[in-house]
Amino acid sequence: MQKVIERILNLLAFLLTAERPVTADEIRHTVAGYDRDNDAAFHRTFERDKAILRRLGIPIEREATDVFEVEFGYVVDHAAYGLDDPGLSDDERAALALAVQAVGFGGRPAGHEGLMKLGGAAGSLAGTQLGADIGSHGDSLDTTFAAISERRILSFTYHGKARRIEPYGLVHRRGHWYVIGRETTTDRTKVYRLDRAGAPTAGDQASAFVRPQGFNASEAVLDRPWETGEDDLVAHVAFDGDVAWIAQRELGPSVELVESSDGSLEARIGVNSPDAFIAWIVGFEDKAEILAPGELRDRFLDHVGGSM
Amino acid sequence: MLPWVIAHPGVPVDEVCDRFGYTRGELIRDLNTVFVCGLPGYGPGDLMDASIDDDEVVVEMAEYFSRPLRLSPPEALGILASAKAVESAGSGGPVLSRAIEKLEGVLLPDGADAFVVDLPEPPLAGRLRSAAREGEVVTIDYTAIASGERTVRDIEPWSVLTTLGNWYVVAYCRHAGAERVFRIDRIRSAEATGERFSPRPEEREPEIRYVPSDDDAVATIRLGRRAAWVAEYYPVEIVDSGPEGQTIRMSVADPSRAARLLLRLGEDAVLLAGDEVASAASDLRSRIRARYARRTGDD
Repeated sequence: MQKVIERILNLLAFLLTAERPVTADEIRHTVAGYDRDNDAAFHRTFERDKAILRRLGIPIEREATDVFEVEFGYVVDHAAYGLDDPGLSDDERAALALAVQAVGFGGRPAGHEGLMKLGGAAGSLAGTQLGADIGSHGDSLDTTFAAISERRILSFTYHGKARRIEPYGLVHRRGHWYVIGRETTTDRTKVYRLDRAGAPTAGDQASAFVRPQGFNASEAVLDRPWETGEDDLVAHVAFDGDVAWIAQRELGPSVELVESSDGSLEARIGVNSPDAFIAWIVGFEDKAEILAPGELRDRFLDHVGGSM
Repeated sequence: MLPWVIAHPGVPVDEVCDRFGYTRGELIRDLNTVFVCGLPGYGPGDLMDASIDDDEVVVEMAEYFSRPLRLSPPEALGILASAKAVESAGSGGPVLSRAIEKLEGVLLPDGADAFVVDLPEPPLAGRLRSAAREGEVVTIDYTAIASGERTVRDIEPWSVLTTLGNWYVVAYCRHAGAERVFRIDRIRSAEATGERFSPRPEEREPEIRYVPSDDDAVATIRLGRRAAWVAEYYPVEIVDSGPEGQTIRMSVADPSRAARLLLRLGEDAVLLAGDEVASAASDLRSRIRARYARRTGDD
């Protein structure tokens, strides 16, 4: 392992100072640690080293060594290699380290290695009273974040259809990740739940679009799932007294619950997605009832199924 | 480590170890590696100079390693999302907010409002957290999700946590005489009793993911494509997976929980096996139907 680390440090030092694309052959005969006799062994080692460096976040590109594009070499993109120094102070780094410790992604913390790149964190970390897990969607989430950060086109499947969007924003809300973007074919800006999006991939070109001025991701994703949709209904619902407080918390202060003559509490709730609304009402079992409109009531009973 | 050490020549060994989680031995080993690396030629003028001198670390001749490395997308996301989660939950402070602003300036230079982690702490969470810190016994009015049963119980809160959008308090429950996890949105009120308990010295990581037991009801469910999220959201075993959907096996302590899920999914889910869950689902269906029939009958 020691040999591998030495060779990789040598390779990186060479690539960073060359300031021009260098061919694999040149690397093989110049950088210490490579096999000069056995072709297959050299290529195996070199491929592995490139992969290790790329995993560390070092952008190694393949470029022509001259304008005739006869020969190709490797170069580290200087602009992409380094991070513009965010200029963090030690107490800011410590605050970030605490946050990274308090938050997990599907049971695992993330970001510790990134902190090392930013200069580590000095001092011991006092425990925090908060423990949070914001779910994991693995590569999908990483790819989407990179596409948003670098403004690359994002492609994925959704409801069985291929989508191609300009991803404007990423939001974590109520346990789910959402990506907001403009679909390039229909010119409509929509919200997609990331765990329902199949295998997102980011386009090759960075800065491929311009985010609309004043775009605010938080405003694009509505608070309650049934507020995102194409319908426009007002549901009249009765909640039993012992569950009404749960409904009130979910609905927020803008919806008023009014006590009716039989002791239940009634609310009028704006609904844009009947399916999502019905799913929510099912959670109240037989302690809530959709009174009106009739079509929503019937749809609810259809959904619950079973005959009378 | 290299960029930071290059920028801080003469930093004490202990500080480097503390900052980057090294032991002294590991640091010396890595510096020895650096010492034999450098630019082709590999003569004394080409190799990096890494040394520990009078307990101070010095790395020279390596200006090309002096810029901090670019963060990979998972690293950048990990740090920024964690920081924004803590900020949103109200546990941050001005220092963390400044750090977020600086990071966003570098990672999302033209999208200040493009990345949001929304984790608003429910009102009772703050009270429970301070009770955990102070070691105060709290009386809660709790409605169980599975049974709908309402109880008033005294708990010794240990910690507050949030996962997949729900908030929980982990506590020793005096009513049950055991450790329990309560969903905070089902706690109607929480009042400090004035009594103190001694915080347990070794708090375990609480397990929120459901751990099946032998007494569980087991259901095999066929999920349509639109219900694919269920397999990711709940701890289930995937029995079969194809383009038309998946078959999952889920085990639940309370069959009514799986029954609610089935009714919620409607036509997107079919129960293939599991008698207890089937009867819980049919019971739930008739209770709902009975309620609706009452009002329809009145009209």
